[in-house]
Amino acid sequence: MLRAFFYSDLYMQQLTILIQQAKEAITHCNDLAVLDNIRVQYLGKKGTLTELLQSIGKLDPVERPKAGQAINVAKQEISVLLDEKKVALDAIAIGEQLAKEKVDVTLPGRKQSKGSYHPVSLANARLEAFFHQCGFTTAYGPEVEDEYYNFAALNIPLHHPARASHDTFYFADGRLLRTHTSPVQIRVLQQQKPPVRIIAPGRVYRCDSDVTHTPMFNQVEGLVIDKESSFADLKGILHAMVEAFFEQTLAVRFRPSYFPFTEPSAEMDIQCVKCHGTGVDCRICKATGWLEVLGCGMVHPNVLKAVNVDPEEYQGYAFGLGVDRLAMLRYGIDDLRLMFENDVRFLEQF
Amino acid sequence: MKFSKQWLQEWLATEITTEDLLTQLPMLGIEVDSTKHVAGDFTGVIVAEIVECEQHPNADRLRLCKVNNGTEIIAIVCGGKNARKGIKVALATVGAELPGGLKIKRGKIRGEESLGMLCSEVELGLAETSDGIIELPIDAPIGKDIRDYLQLNDLMIEVDLTPNRGDCLSIQGIAREIAAKNNIKLQAIKITEQPATIKDTFPVILEVKMACPSYSGRVIKNINPEAVSPLWLKEKLRRSGLRSISPIVDVTNYVLLELGQPLHAFDLAKLNKEIRVRGAKKGETIKLLNESIIELKENTQVIADANGPIAIAGVMGGLNSSCTAQTTSIFLESALFVPEIIAGKARQYGLHTDSSHRFERGVDPTLQTLAIERATELLLSIVGGEAGPVISVMDEEHLPKKSLIKLAEAKVNNILGVTLPKSTISELLQSLHMQVEEITGGWTVLPPSFRYDINIDVDLIEEIARFYGYNNIPLHHPHSPVGFLNEKETERKIKHWRQCLVARGYHESITYSFVDPKIQALLEPNSKALALANPISAELAVMRTSLWAGLLQTVLYNQNRQQNRVRLFETGKRFVQTEQGLLQEEMIAGVITDTDIPAQWAQASRKLDFFDLKGDLEALIDLSGNKDNFIFEAGQHCALHPGQSSRLIYNENEIGWLGALHPHIQQKLELNGPIFLFEIKQEALMQARLPVFQSLSKFPLIRRDLALIVKDTVSAVDVINVIKKIGNMLLVDFNIFDVYKGKGVPDEHKSIGVTLTLQDKERTLVDEEVNEFMNRVINALEQQLHASLRE
Repeated sequence: MLRAFFYSDLYMQQLTILIQQAKEAITHCNDLAVLDNIRVQYLGKKGTLTELLQSIGKLDPVERPKAGQAINVAKQEISVLLDEKKVALDAIAIGEQLAKEKVDVTLPGRKQSKGSYHPVSLANARLEAFFHQCGFTTAYGPEVEDEYYNFAALNIPLHHPARASHDTFYFADGRLLRTHTSPVQIRVLQQQKPPVRIIAPGRVYRCDSDVTHTPMFNQVEGLVIDKESSFADLKGILHAMVEAFFEQTLAVRFRPSYFPFTEPSAEMDIQCVKCHGTGVDCRICKATGWLEVLGCGMVHPNVLKAVNVDPEEYQGYAFGLGVDRLAMLRYGIDDLRLMFENDVRFLEQF
Repeated sequence: MKFSKQWLQEWLATEITTEDLLTQLPMLGIEVDSTKHVAGDFTGVIVAEIVECEQHPNADRLRLCKVNNGTEIIAIVCGGKNARKGIKVALATVGAELPGGLKIKRGKIRGEESLGMLCSEVELGLAETSDGIIELPIDAPIGKDIRDYLQLNDLMIEVDLTPNRGDCLSIQGIAREIAAKNNIKLQAIKITEQPATIKDTFPVILEVKMACPSYSGRVIKNINPEAVSPLWLKEKLRRSGLRSISPIVDVTNYVLLELGQPLHAFDLAKLNKEIRVRGAKKGETIKLLNESIIELKENTQVIADANGPIAIAGVMGGLNSSCTAQTTSIFLESALFVPEIIAGKARQYGLHTDSSHRFERGVDPTLQTLAIERATELLLSIVGGEAGPVISVMDEEHLPKKSLIKLAEAKVNNILGVTLPKSTISELLQSLHMQVEEITGGWTVLPPSFRYDINIDVDLIEEIARFYGYNNIPLHHPHSPVGFLNEKETERKIKHWRQCLVARGYHESITYSFVDPKIQALLEPNSKALALANPISAELAVMRTSLWAGLLQTVLYNQNRQQNRVRLFETGKRFVQTEQGLLQEEMIAGVITDTDIPAQWAQASRKLDFFDLKGDLEALIDLSGNKDNFIFEAGQHCALHPGQSSRLIYNENEIGWLGALHPHIQQKLELNGPIFLFEIKQEALMQARLPVFQSLSKFPLIRRDLALIVKDTVSAVDVINVIKKIGNMLLVDFNIFDVYKGKGVPDEHKSIGVTLTLQDKERTLVDEEVNEFMNRVINALEQQLHASLRE
């Protein structure tokens, strides 16, 4: 009896010490692996508390329930402490990992170099977008043309003084490089009956090269043939076009001019986009306040006749604009030659 | 054409300001190229007379002059060689300020006092060069300010006329426009008939009446060869950009400028028997006024005498029949050559003259005798002499005539898009010298003889618009008919390819379509490039048969500017001559060199290789959604590295090439390499596939890897083809994940790692069927390619 009592007392003492030790170990633990060991040490299959529980049989049966309960409470208590500590250590560990994984977000990202569109393409795309909204479609034509499409059908007969001013590139067989996009007018009208509403962008060529001329340059042709399109319509659409292109309100003026394939013919000037028409010290408009941007007019009856369209029934307008110049104005490019040198330091700016 | 404001003003009854003139000209369609004051900016220069002139005692080149300035006689030291007693001169008085800021002060020159300066034309900004001091007419009023005396407050205006406006190539023509625009009276000069004082004539025969329907001529005898052109004449010519040559030439030029009728004076003594206007004969030559000798073509009309051609009709006179300082009798010609026949003739001899310029554009057929009378009057007053009767040979039938034009009121308004009052229309036309008659619904209009450009109703409509004012016609905002632009979803366009390549770091470039024939030949020695007959330079002489020529030159251009990493593409035509004719094919081409990515901290860049280029091209192809229709096939191309070049096939047609530039060519072009290029026909990329949804399988994927050992000669596509052929519905994907040569792989062999992905839509695959499939694949690879599995 005495022995049993003694044993029970000892048993409870041992339990208290174990609990104390466990609590201390947990408190001082700052490593998840150590914490795991502590769990094994006390609560594992061969853990000290587990063993203590297994040795409960040595106790007086009367004492057993009490001791069992005490051990279970202790196990529970330690388990909670272990869990809490684990949460705390997990939080520290994640915090450390996150701190370790911190990056300098100001460093540049991994990349391919930046590509770019040619400014002429950018300008062409803007023009196309505008005209497509107005119901125009895009047409194309060959660049090696013949005399008929480039001149004769456009009411420029052989030896017409206008031919001399075209500085045409010829081939030995009499063919030529188109000097303007106007031949597309003829090609389209040969295939399509009015109403016709097209633009025709493309390369054109003239045998001329200096600071302001390159032997190849880019134009956009426009052609509208129907029963009522008038000079006032022509003025309206072109004014809307330049305002859309430059995204600003711009004064325009139309001056009489001469193109054999239009009558009346006009040249359109826009208010200088650099000096806003004041002309003050402006090199872009040579201090005139105006920039010449395109030629246009009402399609000449002879052109319509050349494609078997009755000029008494149909009428319309045509225009041809220099895209390079528009692009230069839009993006502030001051030298036409840059456009075709393709220096990547130039190209990458667009 | 150049003219002076003052001369124009002489033709207008009301003063027009320079500002108005310069604003109105462009709005009438007469472009003003430049304006220039006719004299420099100076003050204090007056007319004076040299009353005494002697040698300067201390300087060989200087004279001591006593000069009458109107109030006193003053001493002037002068360096002009022509300074002499009795001439009227331009005296810059003390206090005068000359162009360039030179101030005239009282001073001593080599010890002799000088109270001013006698000016040359250069010093007053009247000319670029001069021989001595200005000599004024003997009746010049002493003391008068030279600016007033010479009317130097005048502006030289240079206009650029469009080829339809031959009628404006004269003072008269410009004045007509300005008068009409301002509704002021045209003050035409009075031309009086100069009666014949002698009976001499010279026979004129018109053989080519179609080319020359009107020819007037007149003999003028006993002229004074010593006479000089008066100052006013010289000044008017100078202000019109012409140099004074001799009174006879000056007068013909003057009338040309004033009325627009080209004239020519032959030395009568040098003419043999007759004037004959005829076609040139084969082998005939003429030595022209500009001293060039020309072999005439038979398509050319000439003026000839019994000895042969003495002028190219409407272009230039011959030297042998021309007037000289000894000429005392002339035959004055005033003819009409019609534009259709004269056009292009001067140009075929490389000539362009004031005369041909006007005849090509049309000279008023009523001007010939008027002009000859005007010239006679001027000549007689300057060089004296006696005039014979005017001989006019004319062929009515071939004279250019204007016909009545019917103009409908409705058409005017329809074309212009504005409703103009009837009266406005007829008044505008009348102010332009048209005879207008009202008819039902419009008018009949007879244009004046000088308007070659007005033949049909729209020509009249332009005139109405021009004088009504282009800028007074309203802007009508476009009202688009409801027509929808149906963009096809299955069509790929340049914009898509551009976007793709730009996103992959390419810069779009535009190079010339004509290239250096040497580079062209280097790249494609077997294709014959279309050569320009008149290239702008030897380096831009043939049409490109490939976009590579321009792109490679652009790479070189950039490499020479320390830009080593170049990625460029271009779209545009190539020009290929085939037996069927010239093909103008739309291509898209690119070039890359240096490293795969720009230098950066997070990733090492490496030298580009073939597969970087191929990847870019595959991205383009992928846009079509039809990549299975494209086949890359090893092939040989002159411009490409024989081991790194591929032909691209689409629907069994060759559509392009890609590869490394041949090192040999790279070296010849002095390029840094390696350089990788592609070029492909746009046509092949245009057709895209409309996506059709395939249901997704809910069942697991099974991936199996194969490591195959095959001979070097077996290409990836062979392996792929074998697998594809076996592949059934179960094979949803396969991927080459590794290609290896070296340790563990026999010589002349390589190891290829392939992942096959299998899946069924209806059920989970079982091992047996997967194994069965894999065995079939392996068997086929073994049998067809002698492949073995890597241990």
